[in-house]
Amino acid sequence: MKNKSLIWLFAIILVLSAFLAACGGNDSDTATEEADTDEGTADEKATEGEAQQGGTMVYGIDAPPEGLFSSAFYGIATDGEVIDLFDEPLIDYNENLEPQPNVASWETEDNKVFNFTFEEGVKWHNGEELTVNDWVFALETIASPDYDGPRYTNVQTIEGAEAFRKGEADSISGIEVVSDYEITITFDQARVNNLTNLWVYPLPESVLGDVPVAEMSASEWVRSTPIGIGPFKVDNIVAGESLELSKNEDYWNGDVNLDKIIVRVIDNSSVVGALQNGDVDMISLQPVTGPEVEPLENVEIVTYPGLSYYFVGFKLGVFDNETQTISEELPKYQSKELRQAMMYAINRQEWVDAFFFGYANVINKPVPTSHWNAADDSELNTYEYDPEKAKSLLDEAGYVDTNDDGFREDPNGDEFVVKFSHYATGNPTFESRAQAITQYWNEVGIQTELEMVEVNLYYDMIEKDDPSIETFFGGWSTAADPDPSGLWKADQLWNYPRYNNPEADQLLDDALNIDIVGTDQQARADLYIEWQKIVNEEVPMLYIAELEEIKALNKRVGGTEYDVSGQNNPAEWFVTE
Amino acid sequence: MLKYSIRRLLGMIPMLILVSIVVFSLAKMMPGDSLSGEIDPLNTNPEYIAEMREKLGYNDPIHIQYFDWITGFAQGDFGKSTRFKIPVKDVILEKLPNTLFLGLTALFITYVLAFMMGMYSGRKPYTIGDNAIAGINYIMLAIPSFVAAVFAIYLFSFKLDWFPFGGSVDILVEKGTMEYWFSRLHHVLLPALVLGAMSTASYTQFLRNDIIENSRKDFVRTARAKGTPMKKIYNVHILRNSIIPLVTFLGFDFAALIGGAIITESIFTYPGIGQLFLESILSRDYPTLMALTMLLSVLTLVGNLIADILYGVVDPRIRLD
Repeated sequence: MKNKSLIWLFAIILVLSAFLAACGGNDSDTATEEADTDEGTADEKATEGEAQQGGTMVYGIDAPPEGLFSSAFYGIATDGEVIDLFDEPLIDYNENLEPQPNVASWETEDNKVFNFTFEEGVKWHNGEELTVNDWVFALETIASPDYDGPRYTNVQTIEGAEAFRKGEADSISGIEVVSDYEITITFDQARVNNLTNLWVYPLPESVLGDVPVAEMSASEWVRSTPIGIGPFKVDNIVAGESLELSKNEDYWNGDVNLDKIIVRVIDNSSVVGALQNGDVDMISLQPVTGPEVEPLENVEIVTYPGLSYYFVGFKLGVFDNETQTISEELPKYQSKELRQAMMYAINRQEWVDAFFFGYANVINKPVPTSHWNAADDSELNTYEYDPEKAKSLLDEAGYVDTNDDGFREDPNGDEFVVKFSHYATGNPTFESRAQAITQYWNEVGIQTELEMVEVNLYYDMIEKDDPSIETFFGGWSTAADPDPSGLWKADQLWNYPRYNNPEADQLLDDALNIDIVGTDQQARADLYIEWQKIVNEEVPMLYIAELEEIKALNKRVGGTEYDVSGQNNPAEWFVTE
Repeated sequence: MLKYSIRRLLGMIPMLILVSIVVFSLAKMMPGDSLSGEIDPLNTNPEYIAEMREKLGYNDPIHIQYFDWITGFAQGDFGKSTRFKIPVKDVILEKLPNTLFLGLTALFITYVLAFMMGMYSGRKPYTIGDNAIAGINYIMLAIPSFVAAVFAIYLFSFKLDWFPFGGSVDILVEKGTMEYWFSRLHHVLLPALVLGAMSTASYTQFLRNDIIENSRKDFVRTARAKGTPMKKIYNVHILRNSIIPLVTFLGFDFAALIGGAIITESIFTYPGIGQLFLESILSRDYPTLMALTMLLSVLTLVGNLIADILYGVVDPRIRLD
């Protein structure tokens, strides 16, 4: 018994000393290995050697999936990542985010009526052939009043979808099946973005056809035995922790290299160790993990442009949800000079380097740079960090320190205190990054108070225009169709700054109006660039940064390509031993 | 004893009603709801969110929401998880075996370690060995479990490669085979060790103090006078008496077993009740959250009752009526 306890004591000393050694050791490793780190900054990675057949790859996800493995029903990004491995859309996107045919190709003359032609011989994992009926089934499922997922917005523009949803029609009148491989879809009106908005994932009617729509999301065909048309099929699911996918021998679009993909949930605290030990071959990283992974010799980091941006918004008005209008204008931040001065006062490059570790870039407009309609920085004011300019702008606008307390008063001579809100989660860096922004403003004499708000409450307060929210930190991600109307027009709930500029709204409307721009993408882009010039000048929000997506790949993985539209076809991935 | 049990069970009813009101109001007071995190222009729109809020009954008056929930709950219908979109009962039943397995293994480890350390300390109090054991115990108690879990993963999984760093089973082994159960055990050992070894303090010290106290009692003196070997006195006579107070812990263990270990399960990505609890708080999955909280309250009450009854069973001097 005495020996046992001594062994125990010894074990603890061992644990503690190993930890201390690890703490001390890491720094020196980083210094010496920095030189070998090759960080693929290009959006494409050239792969070494020939593609190899066979092998198993481990694909990491950082949160437990909810288990809704169906494109029509899933809610969180983790489930979406898994679906991408075993299912694919009829139409996908190229590196310029333009739609391109995958299983289906299309023709249209007027952007209202589209004729789609499917590839023949594409099979579901259960051996049934994919036909246009599976797509019709998907569209009618989503348009059903019992449907409990969030995708109806991608179907409602089809002619007759609204009537079908209200139960006035037995089918959607805008869908006309020509043959098993041909279908015509008519939209309620001609729009330039009808195709990019359309729902393009079929659902397997052969297995889900008998399930009532209300019970579909709970059915085994969604949760435990999902099927798709992609290069891998789901063999086995251990709920909440892992999935086993194996090669689809009948894949329609070329050979599949890997035999198996194991999808495994890996907690953020284990990601670095798992990568180092080769327990995971491919995983998305958070920016904060990047610097820890860079020194690993067996891991390569690939970055590619993302489609999200961060901003600091001003509350310029109050939105009335009943009438869908901005009902009231808030006076505090109406001065354009004030907003511009607050933009000049922030050293965005320094901030991004400090909190995103080089995995983000400063942005000057509310459109991620990879979109075809993004304005070039040469056409915009880039608001280089210039505290002197900020001060002179404030002086001109009348924000001067009249009572010598070190902070500026507003033009009427009253105390002026900016309130800045940031959401709080468990992440300790959020408070320091928010604090940094308040310091930039304090330095040019704008007194700033910071409030950290619990994240769920935060967006609720912003959405309801709670008076305690004045300036707020936020982020948006954009879809393949880069039209910003939903986030910017005066009649939109998600126009959080309540920016109200009829001229700018008109430009957005024109860019979607087929009578004005026709099908000419350049004409559309010109209007969007015009719009970006306005919002860049008026800064209803301070554009801070756009993020990069980061993937960590074990060096044995090959055949991968990433661009702004995401990963290439998993069929092309391979591993070398 | 039957009378006593019935009286206690009846006494639980008002307590449970009060608990349910507290659980419900706390859940409703939490800012946001299951839809407030879903604001994402990629795949949803404000109309959908408004419609779902109506469908889920979030706009009903608060007392109607409460009665809807509590009537369902009393009939065994815990509602439908807003996150998984399946009945909460199924979600819980899916995770329960994992948590029980982890909890029992951890409890076993705790008992074995605590007995060894407690008996040693009790027999040789105020020696270096006893002080070292007390010191270690309290250090372990003081180390937060997430720190211990991360250390354990770093050392035993990544450096020594003895245990897997997460999950509950290797997906590649066939279900139901010997290998499958071995894999389950292999996966559960490290989190169980972290859980079990860290919580030995209360058992050890309780046992130690009781052994010291009992060793001064008359029956020990008598046994020694009769010439009974010291080893037998400690391992049989004293130990049997000293285990009795430990029975009170059983009640707490009972609820803890089902409740799972929130932090440890999350770090080891071990899909059990603890992880489910944390995730349902983060995603405002009220039905799951409230069902779990209620379940744990019921289990704590039942656990206490069991402990009290067991107390009477093991120690006839205590009469329950």
